[in-house]
Amino acid sequence: MSSGEDRLRRIELVTDTALAHLAVEDLLDELLERVRSLLHADTAAVLLLDPSSTHLVATAARGIEEEVRQGVRIPLGQGFAGRIAAERRPVVIEQVDHANVLNPILREKAVRSLLGVPLIAEGTVLGVLHVGTLTTRTFVDEDAELLQLAADRIASMTRTHLTELDRATAAALQRSLMPGTLPAVPGLELAARYIPGDAGGLGGDWYDVFTLPSGRVGVVIGDVVGRGLQAAVVMGRLRSALRAFALEEDDPAEVLERLDGNVQHFEDGVMATVLYAVFEPSMERLALSTAGHLPPVVASPSDHAALLEVPVDLPVGVSVGPPRRTTVVDLPPGGLLFLYTDGLVERRRRSLDVGLDLLTDAVTVDEVETVCSTVLGRLVGSEHVTDDVAMLVARRLPGERVVPLDVVLPAVPRSLAEVRSALRRWLVAAEAPADATADLLVACGEACSNVVEHAYGPGGGTVAVRAVLEGGEVTATVRDNGQWRSARGEGRGRGTTLMRQCCDDVDVTTGVAGTTVTLRRRLVREAG
Amino acid sequence: MTKATVLVSPDHSRVRIDLGGEIDLENAASVEEQLAAAIPNHLSAVTLDLSGLDYIDSVGLRILFALAARLEVLQIELQVVAPIGSLARRVLELSGFEAIVALDPKRTAAS
Repeated sequence: MSSGEDRLRRIELVTDTALAHLAVEDLLDELLERVRSLLHADTAAVLLLDPSSTHLVATAARGIEEEVRQGVRIPLGQGFAGRIAAERRPVVIEQVDHANVLNPILREKAVRSLLGVPLIAEGTVLGVLHVGTLTTRTFVDEDAELLQLAADRIASMTRTHLTELDRATAAALQRSLMPGTLPAVPGLELAARYIPGDAGGLGGDWYDVFTLPSGRVGVVIGDVVGRGLQAAVVMGRLRSALRAFALEEDDPAEVLERLDGNVQHFEDGVMATVLYAVFEPSMERLALSTAGHLPPVVASPSDHAALLEVPVDLPVGVSVGPPRRTTVVDLPPGGLLFLYTDGLVERRRRSLDVGLDLLTDAVTVDEVETVCSTVLGRLVGSEHVTDDVAMLVARRLPGERVVPLDVVLPAVPRSLAEVRSALRRWLVAAEAPADATADLLVACGEACSNVVEHAYGPGGGTVAVRAVLEGGEVTATVRDNGQWRSARGEGRGRGTTLMRQCCDDVDVTTGVAGTTVTLRRRLVREAG
Repeated sequence: MTKATVLVSPDHSRVRIDLGGEIDLENAASVEEQLAAAIPNHLSAVTLDLSGLDYIDSVGLRILFALAARLEVLQIELQVVAPIGSLARRVLELSGFEAIVALDPKRTAAS
């Protein structure tokens, strides 16, 4: 066979399109095997740059499989492989010595000669492909060319694979982070949408809804600047951080301030706009703070939808700015809050104001699912939207004047204060006078203390408090699902007496599923 | 988390203690310790001001009953200030605390 034919045969072996059906890992292995046998080498290995682009990580190997198993990492610019990646050119070592090879496995295996080429796709170095021999060998230009050919194939394949992987991972992440079903909140109707953009799909938009131990409800809309997997990952962290701060802090401005501190410390170069609003348990009022986010739309049965005029503070991750502000907004029965990200209203060659006008025209105080569909129909329609879109609608249900309070907390002493603060706010909404407020706080407090002290063994459980206002009378139920044991100590006896004194009626029902204490107290007691 | 403040202002043989915040199962033991530490047995009188107290339950009441009983044995005079209409006063009235100690509606200036 002529050397020309041989060369052609060899090239065909590494560019063989029949290999394309193989999974990436198998293809890599098969190519390495062919490269090794074509070049009569003893070892062949692929190292890929890690996401930080500071180290090469052994990804596939033949003859030196340990390299992958041990996850060998070579700093960029150092040693044999590090130099190839940094200088973007082939490197040949005829006599391996400790000075020019960092990889301990190459030394242990007694590899004598090495040839390596960079993996470059679309101008970016992705890693290094190298072969080695156990006897001294002089690699010629033709060897380097053939190895580069294989390297180019591996590079383009790796690039495609990484891009697909990024996209699939971002999509999976986005799916897992968006609440699949929104929490059921008495008195509030919720709906949300997330629509990936056309160009490369996902971004860093998110929405979130969560109930807080105090019976309040937090709603969030946010947008991490950037696209793709990186933005989606940062979004996930911001979402978790915000939830954590929301548990600690009541004031939305303070929650965003803490989130800002978190981003500035842990998320280098990240900027995000976030709006965080907290509904009172009565749903008649909400407090919100916005970090550079577009203004929400509010609508009520008596007023046409309009942008809410709120002071806007700096996005998170920018710099230390003036103190953040919280705005309190009243929401009448049937009133609605509409949150969205810029992808909904921003279009090329159209001013933002036009988009916002379209939005306020589209938002009505209908059922929330209808509102979502209408808005998307009018603002997105059949257009191609490059940016992703997130939106969240919360409507206070019409009709009920005071929404029942529902609080479920772990049956531990520290929950007692949470129950009181939720109940206090609810009693304000119920316009309870001072004496009724004091009585209900004490009676519910005693019932909850009983649950904390007596309902559960060491395994613990929950205490559920519900309060309903009907015909001028509050009915509060305190429920556990444990095995009630009789009260111990004189303090408890006094507690039960106190509870009865504070209420018009007390009923205790104990069953296999737990104990329910029902307390009734009229808001205004008739004289005498 | 339940937070209470115990502010102690000694004045020769008297001491004024301002109880603020909330007292329940969670912090009752800590409040009880702070009260005990604030009252050495050489005193002649203790003023316990509950004006700043937003919540007290039966566990907190037990502390006050125990304190009243103990001070009686020690022959230390106890004055309790609880504003009319406050939750603390309501709870103390309902529990019969007045039978042991009269409740002052307003704080009298420490002498």
